[in-house]
Amino acid sequence: MWSTAREVAAGDTVIIWLTRDLVQPLVIAPGKDFNTRYGNFKHSDFVGVPYGSKVVPKSGKGFIHILKPTPELWTIALPHRTQILYLADIALITSYLGIRKGSKVIEAGTGSASFSHSVARTVGSAGHLWSYEFHEARFAKAKEEFARHGMEDVVTIQHRNVCKDGFTVVDEVDSVFLDLPAPWDAVEHAKKALRKDCTTRICCFSPCMEQVLRTVSALNEAGFAEITMYETLLRPIEVFQIPQLPDVSVISEKLKHSEAKREEKRIRQIAANKQGKGKRKRDETGEEGAWDAGNEHAFNSKRAKTDKEDQDFIVSMDVMENSSSTVNAVGPSPSNETGNATLVPPPSKINIAKALTEVRGHTSYLTFARLIPIAVAPTESVALREATELEGVKGTITDNSVSTAGTTMSSTIESGS
Amino acid sequence: MSTLKLSKTAEKSKDPGVQIGDLIMLKLPSGEIKGIKLENTIINIGKVGSFHANELIGHPYGLSYEIKEKKLFILPTRSVEEVEDTDATNELINDGEFVQPLTADEILALRKTGAHASEIIKKQIEQHANYSLKTEYSKDKYRKRKEAKYAKFFTTIEPTLFNVCEYWFLKDQSRIRDLRMDSLSQVLNLGNIRPGGRYLAVDEVSGLLVAGILERLGGEGKLITICNSDSPPAYPILDYMNFESAISSSLTSLNWATAEEDYLPVLPPSQLPDDELKSERQKSRLNKRKAISDILNDTREELFAGEFDSLIVCSEYDPYSIIDRLSPYLAGSASVVVHSPYSQILVELQAKLRNLPEYLSPSITETWLRRYQVLPGRTHPMMAMSGSGGFVLHAIKMRVDFMTYAVNLAQVLQI
Repeated sequence: MWSTAREVAAGDTVIIWLTRDLVQPLVIAPGKDFNTRYGNFKHSDFVGVPYGSKVVPKSGKGFIHILKPTPELWTIALPHRTQILYLADIALITSYLGIRKGSKVIEAGTGSASFSHSVARTVGSAGHLWSYEFHEARFAKAKEEFARHGMEDVVTIQHRNVCKDGFTVVDEVDSVFLDLPAPWDAVEHAKKALRKDCTTRICCFSPCMEQVLRTVSALNEAGFAEITMYETLLRPIEVFQIPQLPDVSVISEKLKHSEAKREEKRIRQIAANKQGKGKRKRDETGEEGAWDAGNEHAFNSKRAKTDKEDQDFIVSMDVMENSSSTVNAVGPSPSNETGNATLVPPPSKINIAKALTEVRGHTSYLTFARLIPIAVAPTESVALREATELEGVKGTITDNSVSTAGTTMSSTIESGS
Repeated sequence: MSTLKLSKTAEKSKDPGVQIGDLIMLKLPSGEIKGIKLENTIINIGKVGSFHANELIGHPYGLSYEIKEKKLFILPTRSVEEVEDTDATNELINDGEFVQPLTADEILALRKTGAHASEIIKKQIEQHANYSLKTEYSKDKYRKRKEAKYAKFFTTIEPTLFNVCEYWFLKDQSRIRDLRMDSLSQVLNLGNIRPGGRYLAVDEVSGLLVAGILERLGGEGKLITICNSDSPPAYPILDYMNFESAISSSLTSLNWATAEEDYLPVLPPSQLPDDELKSERQKSRLNKRKAISDILNDTREELFAGEFDSLIVCSEYDPYSIIDRLSPYLAGSASVVVHSPYSQILVELQAKLRNLPEYLSPSITETWLRRYQVLPGRTHPMMAMSGSGGFVLHAIKMRVDFMTYAVNLAQVLQI
């Protein structure tokens, strides 16, 4: 599966990372060109380049990253033929089904083969994946892809409708993964394919609750145990760097300052009024010009026209205008006013984080169940059988798993609180 | 000096199954899970009962047993039963009413006679004043609650990574630093762990991460862990996996001193001058020392040779200091994966890494997992769920030495 060499060779499938949202696979075919908005390349430029390099085009402008494919990169780079499985679901399914080196696994359908690549990597050449796809064109594409990625020894893909025709192995696999519109039709077939000498597992992947309910009852009828269901998601978190948040004491100092200024102005106003109406206009402009900026000047001449009763209201406007303008004007303080010095924010930056504003909210429900081994013939307890036959107690010991799972969780919560 | 060779568990036969020496997990009717080291003796699991370990040997994991007179009986697979919808409501049922004339002492006496759980429950139901008023769902819940109390059965839990992780997560989340089952498997997938790969890890999660990597290597490939002590690291969770020695032999460990290239580890001499007398005991001690120092030197050499496929960190130490130390040993395009229970730690790390050209696209995700109850007619998310499985940062290691490689120097010079 894929190259494990240090350098890129002709024929390799590589992952070209242009930006986080533009990641694409490329098969290195010397002689071909590869043109992007981050520069124009020849495939032969890449041969011999160590994986994990930034590659700069001849023009010297821009660069691209050349990466070694992994199933996780493949998941974000692959050509979508269907809705695909993403990391969170793939990881949980792999883990719940106990897929590890040497595991034998069935998946149906193959779809865009996002899950297939991950499973093939994890089981390695000691394990095997049987993959079934009923859509002929998708089957052909996936088959070609598996061959190109050197996975043919690990993956067997077949064009087959497993709901109708079942699987091609019997008592063979450790786990079955069903990503089908009607997984309940394949449950009995899955049971046949699973080995019976140890615990085996199944996962059905369905986006709708109605599908889950039908699947659960099919699993129950087929004799699967510990039926349970999970939902898993990733919440991507974005990091920002912002200036240290200002302290409110800065604001209170500013407010005190402007209050003092306002009072000063009011007293001056009263004094000016007393000096007689004829001279007022000229006197005030002169005084204001020396005293403050043009803004204040315009405001004062406007105020001069208003009646005394309105003064309080105007004064409050003054406070608002003043405070907002000084918060914006962060630069060097324009005058010798001491209040302004504290308004310069501290230079240090802080890192903050929050979830993306829009995230994936649902992929599918993961219904899991276990098939109990029958290698040892059940020696059903006589007492128990008699007991369950007693009227009124029927079903007493049914479904331990689900209820106990609940108890486990709630007991943890209690001990945690 | 901390080169590690794990204690070898007994080689297992081809057929997997319960063996003497295994650390087995038993699920009790109450939902509680007990971990028990299986010796060739009587095993006592409290009020559920006791039995001889012999009875489990050779059985596949995952079976359920009932204990009756110290003997085990395998229980058949239980199916979920439909609960009939009736017109019953709780309209006439009030809290605090006296409904159960059967006293605790009488029940205890019944249990002492060896009465089967179902008989006790039947008796309680018969005596219960309001049982018939209950809805069928409520009756079902009542029976299950009683069953969890009196039943004498248990299930052996297969030592899969998921099961072991879940056991520890429920038992002591802090000892595995919130590395929940979903987070753990994401970390392993992002680390691209595959048979034959070569990995670096820092595990301060009691060996859970090491267990995951070793299981996926399956005895093929290499894992070097760096630990904080001079003795071999204690990875207690590894015991729960019951690995064969072939699997655990992929692991060797260094500590933060021996992982330094300039540091010369202080080792006791493993050779004596030829003229000194050597007793057999002395010889064997010297051989042991030599073996240990050989492993240490080989491991150091292997680390310093570099080209590892990924670095995975679940540690209490500053993650940047770890990455900074170990990143030179990573291959180009390798994965760097860090799990932390705290978002702030990874936020600060991300802010540092994104300014460094060696790390492509460091990104953080929080994991989220919700379990559902799926009973016919009663399907809903569990009323309680795990609040956090921690945060995962992933970045790709870039080679800065080859940054301008493909400018194609020859051509540039010609132009």
